[in-house]
Amino acid sequence: MIWLTWRQLRPMLIAAGTVLCAAAVYFIATGVHIRHTYSADLNNCHANCQQVLNDFAASYQNLRALIQLIVQATPALIGIFWGAPLIAVEFERGTHRMVWNQSVTPVRWLAVKLASGALASIVTVGLLSLLFTWWAGPQDKIDTDRFDWNVFGTRDITPIGYALFAFALGALLGLVIHRGVLPAMAATVVVFVGVQVLVATQVRPNLMPAHTATVSVDAQLLSHPVNTTITGSPSGPKVSFKVSPPAGSWKLSQTAVMDGSGAPLPAKAVQDCIEGPSIQSQTDLATCLAPYNPHVGVRYEPASDFWPLQWYETGIHVALAGVLAGLCFWRIRRHRD
Amino acid sequence: MTAIIEARGLSKRYGARPALTDCTLHIPPGHVVGLVGPNGAGKSTLLKLACGLLAPTSGSITVLGGRPGADPAQIAKVAFVAQDAPVYSGLSVADHLRLGAHLNPRWDRAFAEARVRSLGLDPKQKAGKLSGGQRAQLALTLAAGKRPDLLLLDEPVASLDPLARRDFLRHLMETVAEEGTSVVLSSHLISDLERVCDYLIVLAASRVRLVGEVEELTAAHHRIIASRRGADTLPSGLEVVAAEHSERQSTFVVRGVPEAADDWAVEPVGMEDLVLTYMEAGSAAGAGAGAGAGAETGLEATR
Repeated sequence: MIWLTWRQLRPMLIAAGTVLCAAAVYFIATGVHIRHTYSADLNNCHANCQQVLNDFAASYQNLRALIQLIVQATPALIGIFWGAPLIAVEFERGTHRMVWNQSVTPVRWLAVKLASGALASIVTVGLLSLLFTWWAGPQDKIDTDRFDWNVFGTRDITPIGYALFAFALGALLGLVIHRGVLPAMAATVVVFVGVQVLVATQVRPNLMPAHTATVSVDAQLLSHPVNTTITGSPSGPKVSFKVSPPAGSWKLSQTAVMDGSGAPLPAKAVQDCIEGPSIQSQTDLATCLAPYNPHVGVRYEPASDFWPLQWYETGIHVALAGVLAGLCFWRIRRHRD
Repeated sequence: MTAIIEARGLSKRYGARPALTDCTLHIPPGHVVGLVGPNGAGKSTLLKLACGLLAPTSGSITVLGGRPGADPAQIAKVAFVAQDAPVYSGLSVADHLRLGAHLNPRWDRAFAEARVRSLGLDPKQKAGKLSGGQRAQLALTLAAGKRPDLLLLDEPVASLDPLARRDFLRHLMETVAEEGTSVVLSSHLISDLERVCDYLIVLAASRVRLVGEVEELTAAHHRIIASRRGADTLPSGLEVVAAEHSERQSTFVVRGVPEAADDWAVEPVGMEDLVLTYMEAGSAAGAGAGAGAGAETGLEATR
């Protein structure tokens, strides 16, 4: 059975292996070069180091975005091209009737197929993610929010969880949907993307207890012009202050501006200060508001939560894949031609 | 000796539609069994029940003394070639033989390789590029190579041209004759099976209509051609299977041995005639029973 599974997966595995080898050669060759440039830039810059590093990151930005997209798509592709056809192709062509009559029970047949495909998925995506994380390391250090949607799911170990989940999902849908391979593939994409969005928006922010911090709206905050937005509205100008949690952490939400007593800062107070004749700068605005002791509460996951979150999310997907595989076994025992 | 197929009240329904109804069979080993019936009579259902691809809705079936598909040992004893002889189109002929060798404990490699050679199949050829006849032969090689005690073939010659049919059946008979393998093969045409089978099951409208050894069946049935009369005027002890009346003549097919008389003639009935008679009688009975169900379905559709 292992031989047959290997023989059936062989074209796919050869394709994946070829792509992976090419990717590895490319990643290692350019990655080494990138690291040289990075250290050279760091050694040669003087006062303008930040600028030099930003320029360095910018020069690889598009390339990194493109590869990131590929890494992001790989688990879905595995679900579509390995998972969904795994069983659906056999049903579509009737070959399960042949192979289930070769002294092998459907359960064993399924077990070997699922295990081989899962292993291939782990190796493929694991290597890809590892290489990409290493390759993008220097740039990520400079300009990347590690908790960003697109970054969190394309670095380190999360892609492995996604790939396993997508593979098991495809296999199950191929087994359950008795309408051929294409509908199984389509359903796999839809469900997989849905779960990805759901996890990123609803699950990930709630996996670890959030930290909270209070940030004063003071001269220091207002000295960064980007932090203050003033918009006009029929009821008068509205002002909002964008605050940042500690560096490297993941901001979940922030409250409205509060005054010293913990009540929302009266809009009138802000309006008066903005329209007041003595306001010439952001600092003046801060001084004008100071008596109210304005502050903003912010909820965030600290930078140290990155790895726990990676493990949790990977673990959740692996567990889901396990449940889906279990459903496959449950279903195939009840399969009737 | 253990019966190859032992069924008691075996039924299979797909939703409300009966595929096989109340089938009771006891087929002794060592036969080449022809399973004949019109399309949709339940032939595939019976074969799939026998190899474990289907589970009965009610009743029971044992094959070679075991529950179909129960464990690898049972699967090893029974070989099944599904309709249209499915094989992996991306795998070569040689790959299929390796597949058989890897999966079957009783695989007979020398036999399978010799058979592929004698068929003139190129081992390197992809199965997807084979002709219908060659594909059927490959599927049969795979099934026979596992050295089963029972070989089930579902419409093995349906998609083949007449020459390929003759070839296939000849090879089949050569293959099973050496080992004494029991065979059940289905077809909607008795003419396909006439020369190879010595045991017969006729299915029509999901029920078994006739079962027995060919020689006994043909010996037990006769055609009576007489001047026009009702079936009730025939001597007792004759079971009328079919009656046909023309203006001056009545023709009966009966089970039993009628004495020849002055005003009627008795003829033997050939196997093909016999099967057609039972298929016709069975389909008519099925249609009569099914008419009510059909009306119900129509009502449901309009609701």
